[in-house]
Amino acid sequence: MNKWIGPGAGMGITLIVAITGLGVVSSSVSSAKQRLVTPVAEKPQVAVANQAEVGYCTPRFKEVLERVLHSCGLAAGEDRRGCKPADVKTFASISDEDFNELFTPLKQRGAVLMFDTGKEDLDTAAQKLLDEKWFERKGARYFFVVARASKTGTQAKNRALSHRRANSVMFHIKNTAKDDPDVDKKVGLLWLGNEFAQLSEAYCSWNNSRPDKKCDEEAINRSAFVSWVDCRL
Amino acid sequence: MKERLPYGVSLLGALLGLIFGFYSTLDYSAHLDRRLHDVHCSFIPGAAPTSEAEACRAAMYSPYSAFFKDAYWGGIPISLFALGAFSFFLGFAAYLLISGSGAPKRSRLFFAVVGSTPLVVSLTMLTISLTQLGSVCKTCAGIYIGSTVLAIGAWWGAAVKPPTAPAKQGNVAPTLAMDGAPKDKPSPALGILLPIGWLAALGLLTLLPSLVYAAQVPDQRPYLGQCGKLKQASADKDKLLKLVTARSVRQATLFEDPLCPTCRAFHERLVHEDIFDKLNAELALFPLDNECNWMLDTALHPGACTVSKAVICGGDQSRQVLDWAYENQEQLSAAGKAGKDPLRAAIQQRWGPSMMNCIDTKTTKDTLNRHLQFAAANSIPVSTPQIYLSGQRICDEDTDIGLRYTLGQLAPELFK
Repeated sequence: MNKWIGPGAGMGITLIVAITGLGVVSSSVSSAKQRLVTPVAEKPQVAVANQAEVGYCTPRFKEVLERVLHSCGLAAGEDRRGCKPADVKTFASISDEDFNELFTPLKQRGAVLMFDTGKEDLDTAAQKLLDEKWFERKGARYFFVVARASKTGTQAKNRALSHRRANSVMFHIKNTAKDDPDVDKKVGLLWLGNEFAQLSEAYCSWNNSRPDKKCDEEAINRSAFVSWVDCRL
Repeated sequence: MKERLPYGVSLLGALLGLIFGFYSTLDYSAHLDRRLHDVHCSFIPGAAPTSEAEACRAAMYSPYSAFFKDAYWGGIPISLFALGAFSFFLGFAAYLLISGSGAPKRSRLFFAVVGSTPLVVSLTMLTISLTQLGSVCKTCAGIYIGSTVLAIGAWWGAAVKPPTAPAKQGNVAPTLAMDGAPKDKPSPALGILLPIGWLAALGLLTLLPSLVYAAQVPDQRPYLGQCGKLKQASADKDKLLKLVTARSVRQATLFEDPLCPTCRAFHERLVHEDIFDKLNAELALFPLDNECNWMLDTALHPGACTVSKAVICGGDQSRQVLDWAYENQEQLSAAGKAGKDPLRAAIQQRWGPSMMNCIDTKTTKDTLNRHLQFAAANSIPVSTPQIYLSGQRICDEDTDIGLRYTLGQLAPELFK
């Protein structure tokens, strides 16, 4: 056998393989470079973290909540704190039945804190239930408190009592969430007199702080409904 | 014939090393476009890439996969050196195979010595894979096997005694060794120069692919830091866990899920690269578990909410709890899938009943919720891990092979 065949073949193979390898590497890098400067036609959609948005957040529901937010001073840029509860009917532009209907989907999410007649103090059971609901925030941004007073009595007296009950709930929340400076931006307070959106006895079946006590239309309206609202507003 | 067989074995080994090195290099270079790619990870050369090639991905993203990661985005992949070296060994084995007994002893000895170097490198890389990465990627294993076969053939060839040449008769020309020296009259100068020449050729071929690669690698600087910023410094930020060390030099916000394998790999990279302890890190727990995370319909990592609460409850030991969760991630993930009780038992076994009491408190639940609210307020992508340097997001593609280069560009103080 020719003495040069072995070395020649070895060198030839080495050169062919090396040159081919270099070509492939070079082509691979060039092609990656080309793709780098070429925008992707359809970028895959990436989910973005956001507050929760559940089924009951209908356009109508959100519209009313939006108005409530503005009236309660919760919306961004608002300096005023609190609502004009007596004007809920006006700003909500909605009948009291429809107003209550809006909150129906919150039956499982929320709770009704019951008060003694003419009183605004939260009893232990109400405090416990309020804490429980407060810490079930999940993805909600706003916590709504809708306080009521009584089916009977003067409008002025009822409005004042309702206001005190709402404040009582707010005071407890602030005490519970001491380390959260943004509580004011989360809690929306509404206090209704007896002129709008009174609850029917049917609401006695909702989760409330006095499940073992007699509940009628009078009792269920001596209350504050509390709930996180899972809507993006 | 028997003197040729070992070099047939070496040829096969070099070919295997070349093929697997080739696939490894292509996997690496494909990522230079900053897009997502599957990785070849099979003992069958050319098998279709799969999305479940975690061991190969872990090896690729590790600090051991490439050189000069500070200077080049992704560095210069180590497989490039293998490509050049195996090209040389393939040719040399072919030369010895064809030449048979005609090949001089020095060429067989040279091949036995230098043909062992891929095996030495492979053993080193295998040790690193087992001790540092905890897994061996199949593509890498293909190179290790090729190196072993190559070395076996080279040693075997050197050990085989070539048949004695028949006595010269009459006017028959003397046989020449394949290096051109007459077999019976070796030239002393060539005897020294040829191995030096071969060595130089090996060195040149080994370096050449990496030089070509380095010359062509695209400039990634315009793309760094183009993935958004944290928008809000809400009060929820105060609830994030502070993982500050005495060496912390740069503020960073990390979004991690203790049961997310990618987070574990990322965390390990930061630790191995000695970066983690230099971060003034705020950890936002972002468990991909719908038990607490409303942004998911189903739990990607069942139990991650509970483990996240354990990290929060760690207090001063949060880092240790996080490290423990990553170290035992497979067991904890399996326990999480099995149900709440097995997972709670695993946590309690390590951290005691006081940890469980803490996990069950409303305060802990609220803190975790506020970590998630912080993520929502900042509209971050629903994925983990994520790292923000002083509020600037590091793109996902810069957190793997380009991590060291990217941090070197955006936070050079981390490497001082």
